[in-house]
Amino acid sequence: MKKRRIVLQIVFSLLPVLLVLAVFRVYPIAVAVIKSFTNWDGLYRSDFIGLRNYVSFIQSGLFWMVLRNTLILLANVPLQVFAGLVVALLLYEKVKGWRVYRAVIYIPQIISAVIIGFLFKIFFGFNGPFNAVLRAVGLGRLAIEWFGNSYTALGVVIFAVVWFSIGWQAIVILGGMSAIPTSVFEAAVLDGASYWQRAFKIVVPMLVRVLEFCIIASGVWTLTQLFPFLYAMTRGGPGFETSTLDYMVYLKSFGLGFGSDYGMATAIAVLLLLLVLAFTLIEMRVANRADDWS
Amino acid sequence: MRGKLKGILVTLLLALMTISFLYPLYYMLANSLKTRADYFARPFALPGAPLQLANYATMISQFRILNLFKNSFVISALTVVLLLAAGTFASYVFAKYRFKGRSALYVAVMVTMFIPSQVTIIPLYVLFSRMGLVSTYWSVVLSYVALFLPECILLMTANFRGIIDELLEAAEIDGCGYFQKIWNVVLPMGRAAVFLSIIFYFITSWNDLFTPMIFLQSMEKRTVMVALATLMGRYTGAPTLQFAGLLLAAVPALAVYIVFQRQIIRGLSVGAIK
Repeated sequence: MKKRRIVLQIVFSLLPVLLVLAVFRVYPIAVAVIKSFTNWDGLYRSDFIGLRNYVSFIQSGLFWMVLRNTLILLANVPLQVFAGLVVALLLYEKVKGWRVYRAVIYIPQIISAVIIGFLFKIFFGFNGPFNAVLRAVGLGRLAIEWFGNSYTALGVVIFAVVWFSIGWQAIVILGGMSAIPTSVFEAAVLDGASYWQRAFKIVVPMLVRVLEFCIIASGVWTLTQLFPFLYAMTRGGPGFETSTLDYMVYLKSFGLGFGSDYGMATAIAVLLLLLVLAFTLIEMRVANRADDWS
Repeated sequence: MRGKLKGILVTLLLALMTISFLYPLYYMLANSLKTRADYFARPFALPGAPLQLANYATMISQFRILNLFKNSFVISALTVVLLLAAGTFASYVFAKYRFKGRSALYVAVMVTMFIPSQVTIIPLYVLFSRMGLVSTYWSVVLSYVALFLPECILLMTANFRGIIDELLEAAEIDGCGYFQKIWNVVLPMGRAAVFLSIIFYFITSWNDLFTPMIFLQSMEKRTVMVALATLMGRYTGAPTLQFAGLLLAAVPALAVYIVFQRQIIRGLSVGAIK
């Protein structure tokens, strides 16, 4: 009798979660994979066309441009981890007012990425504040249209993303630092280790696992979460010069002016999924997050 | 001497960083209170008297920002309520029950965390339009709940595991049923994780653009961020109005952060959420 009750408790506690995930996450994935082999228009047309979506996307120059952009944008990962590490090291030895600094560095994460994106667009606009400063100090020559070509545009996007992420990195790395036994640290101080020795010979080596987690988490984040930044700053342009896989999914399906090619869009989405899965498998190997948190 | 120099350097660096993080907020506020001409002439100056409140009046009367706030609030609040309702029971079972297939189920739930929302958005759109849910709060809320559940369960399960078994047994002996046990023991003991989930997912829902932009096509139902995207796209000739809009859209999440800053930072320090 009691056993029956426990079984019922388990079943009814898990059922809502499993149902929601099955209907709104797993079923759509199945649809996306199947439809990626068709010329689906979202309504009635849905003929099987084999690998044609994939082949034509990869054969068009778009795939390689998107790949190039993704690789360039991934450069933000080492930058944001390094910047976060520096900030964490600055705060680690409990400088005066560290609590205030710690609260302030997380502010960009609280503001919507859309707002951050638009702010950077305004700041780096042709007549924006950044160029105004350049002109005022006599560097007017350098005051260019930052979003006018792909390299400077991607550079500004990377700058915005790093600025946005420093706080997250620093807080997570600080969390890892708090696990370092203080005795180790005090012994080093007694032995006369300098500030830099303490930082790079003791703290950083003990943080390897945390840093690995930071790198992989931001890698996956870069592959999937740049939409609001790109939408606000470049719209994937000029042309497709700053588009990524996730932005292409949007452009091919709901983005204005392209007509809806849902078949093609789902094929690109499946490529994105494969990329993320590859990253995730590495993550699973490197850091077993579920066990770390208790 | 060297120690002092280093102290000054550290303080200088931190001060520089603080300014860089706070300046955009100041810039939005200052310039939203200027006239257009004043902004183009002196973008870095303080707004001169009289302060121009017209931009904020326009946001309220023409953009009906209060209605937008309502939409964003309803969506975020519904998301958090459903997320916690479904997540608490599942997390408790995952944390404290031993049964066959438990770890397999847990892993299955966690794996869905890594499905990017761009991959599911088109099939979901078609599904919601068949269900008649496009341009209703529910399309966005249900997507969010499904999207956030695995991470929320990860966070709460880890936390609930730390609840002492004797407490749960004592509650049972006192005659607590399943729901009473959760209400009287699990939730109070796991409040750190529950609290973090509420704040964090409220802010995340509030700030999102992608999902509501696709699903909410009616002007009446759109969220703050969707309307902001319109404002920024169509009103490039009125930059000071745009600053007012950007600032207003950021304020609610910032207010939540200022109040609950300690809980958020503490929760994040353990690296559970991104």
